[in-house]
Amino acid sequence: MFLRMMPSVGRLPRFRRWSGALLGLSALLSATSARAQVATLDVNSGLFVEPSKRSGLTVVNPSAVLAVKPSNWLTVQGGYEADIVSGASEAVKGGRLSNVDIVTSATHFSDTRHAFTGGFTVTRATTHLSGSYTYGTEHDYRSNAFAVSAGTDFLQKNTQIELSYGRGFDQVCTTAFAASDAPSARLALDNSQGCFTNDKKRASREISLNNFQVGWTQTWTPVFATQMVLSASLQNGFLGNPYRSVVIASAGDQALENHPENRARGALGLRGKYYLRSFKTAFSAGARLYRDTWDIFGQTYELDAERYMLPWLRVLVRARYYNQTKALFWSDDYTGGEPATGPRGQYWSGDRELSPLSSYLLGARALATREGRPGQRVLGLFLSLSGSVSFDLLKTNLRDFTLGGRAPDDTLALLWSLGLRGEF
Amino acid sequence: MKQLEISVVRRALAGVFAAALLLASAGCATVRPEQRAILADPTMQFDEKSADRAALEHALDNREGSTGGGSVRGGGCGCN
Repeated sequence: MFLRMMPSVGRLPRFRRWSGALLGLSALLSATSARAQVATLDVNSGLFVEPSKRSGLTVVNPSAVLAVKPSNWLTVQGGYEADIVSGASEAVKGGRLSNVDIVTSATHFSDTRHAFTGGFTVTRATTHLSGSYTYGTEHDYRSNAFAVSAGTDFLQKNTQIELSYGRGFDQVCTTAFAASDAPSARLALDNSQGCFTNDKKRASREISLNNFQVGWTQTWTPVFATQMVLSASLQNGFLGNPYRSVVIASAGDQALENHPENRARGALGLRGKYYLRSFKTAFSAGARLYRDTWDIFGQTYELDAERYMLPWLRVLVRARYYNQTKALFWSDDYTGGEPATGPRGQYWSGDRELSPLSSYLLGARALATREGRPGQRVLGLFLSLSGSVSFDLLKTNLRDFTLGGRAPDDTLALLWSLGLRGEF
Repeated sequence: MKQLEISVVRRALAGVFAAALLLASAGCATVRPEQRAILADPTMQFDEKSADRAALEHALDNREGSTGGGSVRGGGCGCN
């Protein structure tokens, strides 16, 4: 309505309007250049592809974050992220002994998760305090997450300690079973229609999340630093997949996946960075140990190396190995029979993430940065501008997991990422 | 039961002692501000907020049964 009252502007060619706006923004930013960095804009997009003949998966993950620094001690930021997911997955999990056609049960799906985030960081001489809130929504899941963290430097800034706490209040849509219904009588969702409405066939289940973390970073020499991170997480609520059924009887009876309602998780990460002057390269090595109350024990080992190929171009290569044991109640087949695949008690799962597995990852990233000269801006607008491109290849080895006795063919994943970062 | 409690207390004390020892040893490390040129470089930061790292961790969280123990910011640049 307002624009229609301004016909003279409306008749301007589009490019003139845009160039005028850019010039105005440029002038505004130039006027504030005396305060150094005022704002940072990160625009990224990831593409995750898991090729498969039956149950491939594609995820496009665009995101944008704008951070503004109105004063030397305060940074305010806001962002948006989406996960655009499409593919197919098996709605029923059965194992080697299941007399059910798992393969043709693969159903196509697509969904988009939107996440909005806002936060601040207060920075003082040797301390900083951050807070953030993130709201995520999709057809069958909603999340509210609060996070705070505080950090300080001491011992002549050679030692840094950071404490973090996160609290999440999530909701997941399921079929409308009652808590008193036997788990073996509960049904899985077949679609997300009616979720978070008054539909009597749908119900909303709560998930409570508490995350704690403490990090200690230490510089030992001018070229060597280490970091130790201790994490703990408490989860309570509906922790299964509302769409997945598991074959629990030899006659082919199926029931909604049934996981315990509580899970405590802990992890210890240790990593070090060393700059090798003769190679002009920063090498990094890390290990992480993980344990939870579902009896999963995970080990992660990482190596990476990064160096400047040109003053404005740096390249990183990385490798990672991961191995985990299965959850106590996980079995490839719950229909009885062999002890190795027999029932595990009151819980049953079709989740491959809870099965014994290992994975290998190889990846690389190139990052180019252009800094503006004193008094000059890159493209007349940016104090600095950087762009990155990366590629990672992840191969998972599922040791026991099968779909009706057949090994899944979607165990190779490809991940591309593009990023652009501008400092105003 | 009492033996279990004693074992837990011993382990906790050992953990506290080890942490105190490590922190105390940290006091011996003195890197002066003029020696931080390399440590301040982005390649030596533990939690560089890169898009590819965030996307990778997001994907791994959905493919593996473990989580946590990742990087926090820091790297000895003394930038604050």
